Amino acid sequence: MKDHLLWLVVLSLLTSLVFTFLSRRRAKERLRYFLLVFFSFVLLSIIAGWLMRPLPF
Amino acid sequence: MNVKLTTLETQTRPGAAGIVRALLASLAGALVPGLGHALLRKWDRAVVFLGSISLMFMIGLRLEGRLFNPDFSDLFSSLKFIADAGNGLLYWVCWFRGLGAGEPTAYTFDFGNVFIYTAGLLNMLIIVDAFDIAMGRKR
Repeated sequence: MKDHLLWLVVLSLLTSLVFTFLSRRRAKERLRYFLLVFFSFVLLSIIAGWLMRPLPF
Repeated sequence: MNVKLTTLETQTRPGAAGIVRALLASLAGALVPGLGHALLRKWDRAVVFLGSISLMFMIGLRLEGRLFNPDFSDLFSSLKFIADAGNGLLYWVCWFRGLGAGEPTAYTFDFGNVFIYTAGLLNMLIIVDAFDIAMGRKR
């Protein structure tokens, strides 16, 4: 329950799924878009976390 | 200057019945995530939206997230409430039953809140999507 990365992945997964079904209609397009959004969410969140690391709060 | 028009898009304006249908779909979506799409017979989207939003909301509660009260005393309280209330009946039923008191000292309190906010905000996008589909602006 205390695993940050697990919850980040779960949140990204569900959010990406909703975005995918909101913006794409065909199955193949949906798969590509889902993977793009999901990995972008995870990767950018990790990068943002590292960038915020030196901040004092 | 020679301008060629190759395609001409004609948009038909929805009548009063179309507007009522769009409002009904939006209202249904505001109450239950995905219900607006179900009324419009977009079954795949309805199932995904209901499943995703409900799951996010339940995870949020399970992680000790808080359901913020209708409090408009300051900007942040208002925004938190609006984001939470975007979940529709999920929010109101749990709130009336006293669920989602939240535990600010819990390690996962912030995670829980983020899940609940995100579910509510995504549901607002879903409502707009249902409205657009019903108005014929989107398929």
